[in-house]
Amino acid sequence: MKRDINSNGYIFLYSTVLVVIVAVLLTAAALWLQPYQQRNKENEKRMMILAAAGANDEGEITFIDGELPVYLVNDSITVLPMQGNGLWGPIWGYLAIAPDGKTVKGAQFDHKSETPGLGGEITTVIFQSQFAGKQILQNGNIKPVEFDAISGATKTSNGVKEMIDKTLQQYQPYLEKR
Amino acid sequence: MNVKKLLIEPLRKTNPVTVLVLGICSCLAVTAKLKPALVMGASVTVVTALSNLIISLLRKGIPSRIRIIVQLVVVATLVILIDQFLKAFAYDVSKQLSVYVGLIITNCIIMGRLEAFALSHGPIESFLDGLGNGLGYSLILVIVAFFRELIGSGTLLGYQVVPQSFYDAGYQNNGLMILPPMALIVIGIVMWINNSKTEAK
Repeated sequence: MKRDINSNGYIFLYSTVLVVIVAVLLTAAALWLQPYQQRNKENEKRMMILAAAGANDEGEITFIDGELPVYLVNDSITVLPMQGNGLWGPIWGYLAIAPDGKTVKGAQFDHKSETPGLGGEITTVIFQSQFAGKQILQNGNIKPVEFDAISGATKTSNGVKEMIDKTLQQYQPYLEKR
Repeated sequence: MNVKKLLIEPLRKTNPVTVLVLGICSCLAVTAKLKPALVMGASVTVVTALSNLIISLLRKGIPSRIRIIVQLVVVATLVILIDQFLKAFAYDVSKQLSVYVGLIITNCIIMGRLEAFALSHGPIESFLDGLGNGLGYSLILVIVAFFRELIGSGTLLGYQVVPQSFYDAGYQNNGLMILPPMALIVIGIVMWINNSKTEAK
């Protein structure tokens, strides 16, 4: 029987076989490369926490896994993990609190899919450096952190603000205890 | 089969960027620094060469009605593999390239070569053609990135090239070079020089 490469049966068979081969290939690659990618991600997270705390690359991070997870850098600076929403997708970051418990030591942000040049600017030094030295307590209450938003990126800026406020509210009992 | 013609012509005479004007979008996006441009060029070269090879091997069995879909599946698979590799072994570059690795799929050079060449030529020729076109694209990327990084940041591959004494004497990096509009102008100048010297009319 002469095979007709434009018959419906052949097209179905061809695409099925192709898709199965590709799926197997991609799964194998993903499984093989996952440990390396995981290591890179963990390393990046470590660098972000250290950068937020203003520590150098050799800083020591202790993870305290209580009701609220906290990172302690060099046994003095508390680093709070933050999660929030930008315009297109999740944003996250780390807020470092100085040993006195009421001054921001530094902040780091990252995002999944904010617009480069607009919302994506939250990862730049210029944006992140303005958080150092901000006071978070006023008369024993959490005070919203004020910062310069990015023009043209209102949604992302609001997302950053909400994220910080929400995190500080959550961690208020913890910060008071310290 | 003329190996030299397949490999050398896409560098100048039929360059995919300066003559065929394909793949401009990624040329603007990843050429602010030399390192991402090199990685991007290498990635596109691998994808064009391998997808050309694979499609050429399959070309007698591909039903013509789902031709484009099969091409897309092959290209997408290669691009995902490259993206995963970069994430595993060159994480910082992969972050800089961000979405543009994924967007290799939509790079017109690849589909263009598949349709125009791989479907009607043998595997070895197609592989060389893909390699040549990928290298032609990389060449322009590297030339543009070289000038943009040198003038825009005073560095090459991250190393300081413009000496400090220049800055002390009042020299300043040209911030415009880092922005996309200057990439377009640099590509335009490269195109102009290239096309004025080749008589392909």
